[in-house]
Amino acid sequence: MIFHVDASTGKTLGIVDLSGRLDAANSSELLKSFAVWQQQANMFVFNCTRLDMIDSSGLGAIVACLRKALEKNGELKLAALNQKVSMVFELTKAKKLFSIFPDTGSAIQSF
Amino acid sequence: MKTLIIIKEKDYAWLRPIFTGIHPLLVPICNKPFIEFLIDFAILAGSDALRILSDGPLSDVEEYCDNGSRWGIAISYGSIKSSDETLLIMEKNHRYCAGERVLLMNGFVFIEYDKQHNYTALFAELPDGEILGCNKGSLSLRGTPGERPKVAGALPLSLVELDSLEVYYRLSMEILSFGESPYVIPGYSNEAYCHIGRNVVISKSAEIRKPVIIGNNVQIMADSIIGPLAVIGSNVIIDKASTVTDSIVLEKTYIGEQLEVQNRIAAGNILIEPESGISIAMDDPHLLTGIKKSGSAEILFQSVVHRLFALFLITVLLIPFLLLSPILKFQRKWKKSTGSYYINDAGKTLALTTTSINRQSLPGSIAAALSLDRFGLLFNVLSGQLAIIGSTPIAAKTDNSVPLLEMGSWYKAGVFSYAEAEEWPANGDERAIVERYFAVHGNPLLDIAMTIKAFFNLIHEIHTP
Repeated sequence: MIFHVDASTGKTLGIVDLSGRLDAANSSELLKSFAVWQQQANMFVFNCTRLDMIDSSGLGAIVACLRKALEKNGELKLAALNQKVSMVFELTKAKKLFSIFPDTGSAIQSF
Repeated sequence: MKTLIIIKEKDYAWLRPIFTGIHPLLVPICNKPFIEFLIDFAILAGSDALRILSDGPLSDVEEYCDNGSRWGIAISYGSIKSSDETLLIMEKNHRYCAGERVLLMNGFVFIEYDKQHNYTALFAELPDGEILGCNKGSLSLRGTPGERPKVAGALPLSLVELDSLEVYYRLSMEILSFGESPYVIPGYSNEAYCHIGRNVVISKSAEIRKPVIIGNNVQIMADSIIGPLAVIGSNVIIDKASTVTDSIVLEKTYIGEQLEVQNRIAAGNILIEPESGISIAMDDPHLLTGIKKSGSAEILFQSVVHRLFALFLITVLLIPFLLLSPILKFQRKWKKSTGSYYINDAGKTLALTTTSINRQSLPGSIAAALSLDRFGLLFNVLSGQLAIIGSTPIAAKTDNSVPLLEMGSWYKAGVFSYAEAEEWPANGDERAIVERYFAVHGNPLLDIAMTIKAFFNLIHEIHTP
């Protein structure tokens, strides 16, 4: 997972590029990293273009990130979910919790 | 009349990735194997014999359909080559067909019919030749030459080309939406739009919204919503607070807690979007998983773990048992009785000596708290007759009839029960839910943890007024 700051819209947005699998093996790493990233931004876009697979631990970590963002009056939006990841979000009803955009650009513009 | 069913592997290749290990003719459509719809139609058309011809293996179909006596029709089987044309197939089977009219069902197609209609009379009037045809198959009559009057008007029949998951899904939803089904659908149906199989446990807080078809040995847990438009296969568990709508859950599938399955086909750990055909294999057993019976190595390991833990409990409880049981026997507060109990799902029975302890005295209270009433049963674990933890033993019926509704394939009587570990109400149905859940999802180490939990729950129960 790669983090960078985007200020193209005049706002400081944290962009997180997720890749590969997000599961029990790396979901705690996401949570730890998110706490660090929150020192630089409080509005986030998780770019899931290269996220191939997610399980319930990974989903739990993303929901926990959303909760942490909301606690600090921030926001977390998701972008470019592939169909398989999207099916997991639908199955678990997590889709209702997030603003989901087809690509990172539209997610950034939505802030 | 006789019927020939001709089916070639190339027609059903698309089914293979989803229904692995199931012959396409046995693929369930609304919980009924596809071949049964064809057999039903052949019978309605007046056939008394049917032959299934394929260029692929038919052993599974043969095993399932056998000689057809179950339906009252003689079923035989034969092989063809992939390149064989219909005429050649007819020639190769001319002895079978000789002197009789033949109904030819060619291809992997579903015949939409109505069980109320008299197809025997209709087909007697129809001339030889193709009755219905489509890209993937046809329905035709061959036989003795001769002029037959043409039947006027539309035929009460149609063909559905089974060539994609989307068609399979749509067809199932369509069958489901008939109040009075034109097909024979398995399961009890006391009311329209609802077919429910045997041994279905539905939690009181679960909601069933018609139309639904539910198979055998299904467990629907608290706060779940099933339907409208849901086909639930046999041996399925729908866990707490999950919703299944406009979907097909194929047999031996576990749907985890608080999930929403909508417009999907769930098959084991595979979730499919029928319209796009996109499927994902869930690696996460909390979401979606297949239900399998343990393999022989796992069963052996589980048995060893159970025996070791029984030995451990015998060692720990031996001294309290030797000290307290004579006192309680002397006080007549230790009563033994022997009865016959089922010990496995095959209905095997065993004479078990159960003990009841009067807890009105201090020794009785201590003995009950230490579960000394189960001490003798621990030796049955050592001999492999009981599990250390499993289902609450069911008393054998005196007429030797096995209570199938209570005993599913997961049943294995235990000294302690999963329901005791989970402090589940003693109600039979509710207890069955938790016992089945752990029997399916358990493992030897979890069994030990659950045994300890049951043990401490029993101590707590003694001290709770």
